[in-house]
Amino acid sequence: MSAVSSWVSETLVRDATERRIFATLGLITLLLVVGVLTGVIGPRFLLFQIALVGMYALLSLGLNVQWGYAGLINFSVAAFWGIGAYCAALLTAPNSPLGLGLHPVFGFLAAIVVSAFIAVLIGIPTLRLREDYLAIASLGLAEVIRAIILNERRWTAGSSGISGIPNLMSWLPLTDAATTAAIVVVLLAVVYLFLRRVHRSPWGRVLRTIRSDEDLAKALGKNTYQFKMQAFVIGSVIMAVAGAFYAHLNLYIDPSDLVPLTTFYIWIAVILGGTGSNRGAVVGAAVVIAIREGTRFLNDIGFIQTLGIDLAPLRLLFVGGLIILIMRFRQDGLLPPKDELIWPAARDESSTGGASPSGAVPDGGTASNGGDDR
Amino acid sequence: MIPLQISPFQYVANGVVFSSIIVLAAIGLSLVYSIADFANFAHGDLMTVGAFSALFSVGFLRPMLGDAGVFGLPLWFFLALAFGMGAAAVISVITDRVVYQPVKGADSIGLLISSIGVALVYRALVFLSFGTEAERYGVPRQGPIPWVRETLGIAVTPRNLVVVTLTIVLVTALHLTLTRTTLGRKMRATADNADLARVSGIRTSEVILAMWLIGGALAAAGGVFLGLEELVRPRMGFDILLIVFAAVILGGIGSVYGAMLGGLVIGMVHELVPLFNQWGIIPVGSRYAAAVAFVIMVAILLVRPSGIAGDSG
Repeated sequence: MSAVSSWVSETLVRDATERRIFATLGLITLLLVVGVLTGVIGPRFLLFQIALVGMYALLSLGLNVQWGYAGLINFSVAAFWGIGAYCAALLTAPNSPLGLGLHPVFGFLAAIVVSAFIAVLIGIPTLRLREDYLAIASLGLAEVIRAIILNERRWTAGSSGISGIPNLMSWLPLTDAATTAAIVVVLLAVVYLFLRRVHRSPWGRVLRTIRSDEDLAKALGKNTYQFKMQAFVIGSVIMAVAGAFYAHLNLYIDPSDLVPLTTFYIWIAVILGGTGSNRGAVVGAAVVIAIREGTRFLNDIGFIQTLGIDLAPLRLLFVGGLIILIMRFRQDGLLPPKDELIWPAARDESSTGGASPSGAVPDGGTASNGGDDR
Repeated sequence: MIPLQISPFQYVANGVVFSSIIVLAAIGLSLVYSIADFANFAHGDLMTVGAFSALFSVGFLRPMLGDAGVFGLPLWFFLALAFGMGAAAVISVITDRVVYQPVKGADSIGLLISSIGVALVYRALVFLSFGTEAERYGVPRQGPIPWVRETLGIAVTPRNLVVVTLTIVLVTALHLTLTRTTLGRKMRATADNADLARVSGIRTSEVILAMWLIGGALAAAGGVFLGLEELVRPRMGFDILLIVFAAVILGGIGSVYGAMLGGLVIGMVHELVPLFNQWGIIPVGSRYAAAVAFVIMVAILLVRPSGIAGDSG
């Protein structure tokens, strides 16, 4: 028990603010559990929301590799998500324009290969550019991809979308909703651990150097373009995997989700969570889903219906206001990265000077304390 | 489909009209880029705000003025245009005071992301005030001017002419402001080197105020013209924002004259895409007109990151 609590205090929660944030999250989780037990919330609905949060968390982790690790402003999140979703849908749905009806594994493989290929294609011209040019260019290229999916009806079914996408692993002895939720949790855990590992590796440290001072990284003899390309491809592949998963979660896909607004949602998730922080990306994704889905509930409340207000614009207003408020008051996000790049063992050695074994690492105690590089 | 026999000059005429709109939008975006030093993603939605402000004023201007007209358009339209320009200018100054200036440690990326928030707020407010439907200004429908049609074989409506003429007037006025007035010299100095301008005693806050006023007013003019030529839609500005960015990048970021040139070229290319397709130069049709503009933008960034008219470096 004490081992668990010291693990929590050392790796998850580092100061009072973070404790409050996690306490709030715990309370919400508790409320959801109570809601399911008392029958207010259907378990099927809750599992779908969990799967959706997991999917958003994957997207946020993907963007975090690009923006949080390497400082790349990629505004084509929705496009890579769409590439993944369309790879899965086109290959697996029997009634897609390709009509192949392959096993979902091929959809995921195609999503990875195609997204990596397109990431390289987009990366070659844009990653040499100044950061804000990259923002504009990637948004432009994302719109090109959306235009292609929308207009090439022979290949993509255009605006009518693709239905009949099969469920994943329907042979598992669980309901479909439980299966997809379980899959995304496993997927998320694998990606999370992988990213934590690579972030702490020398590769991750070079990326951090590039983000804070690219000229310094060059002076140290690093081929910064190569590193940025690797981060861009890894992030894009994770986004495409999230998209492929979404196709099997929602069982229907059309181009309307590929609009830039989806990209901006993911940006909020990453910045709100704390740029550069993987745990922040997950929390940010949960908050964004809470905003998106929570406002959907308001529509059902009779009082608001009588007011006759359309809630979609209110949600847009809320999201826009949230971006402005975060940038103004909490640019570091809810859970800013602290000492994530330090191996736990190394941290123990450096903090032996007086720190109690069970105590949390004091803030600012290490030279590579993060979150201050903007 | 049977290809319609449309004169190539018709595409050029359409291009001139569309270019006018892009030029007006590009100037403001370029001014913000050069003086406030960030990519303002709210500029497109500012055009929408201007267009809808003008639409709002039509509600009371039209009953007041009746349908008396000048240059083939009712007088109320010109006043609505002025109203929209004023409203967008005021709104962009307020936005700067409320949002952009207080962003602490404002680097260009923080401002860029804030401007996305501003864009969404603008759009949400337009949705909440005017609904989601596309609207019209209610300018009576006009046929093409007969003598142009007979002599040149192309269809040009009086409203096309008004859009192009007013754009030329506005651009000329801006040019004279920049070159002949003290304010214009201060603006050019600040755009060139803000720190140097500040230590030379230029009150940069005054310059920034002028920048937002001019940029907002011109964006609104572009938005109103777009609404006049097509429809007044809540997404109209955002939908052409990337084309405007393409124009600004093509012309060289931060150069007002570059933005004008870039706007002209990108606007033309956008409208000439079907013609190029007919001639077999490019394999895509008009549905990809915007995509062609984006690809040109990326290509320009690739070979000449500072744009056609930008400084080398």
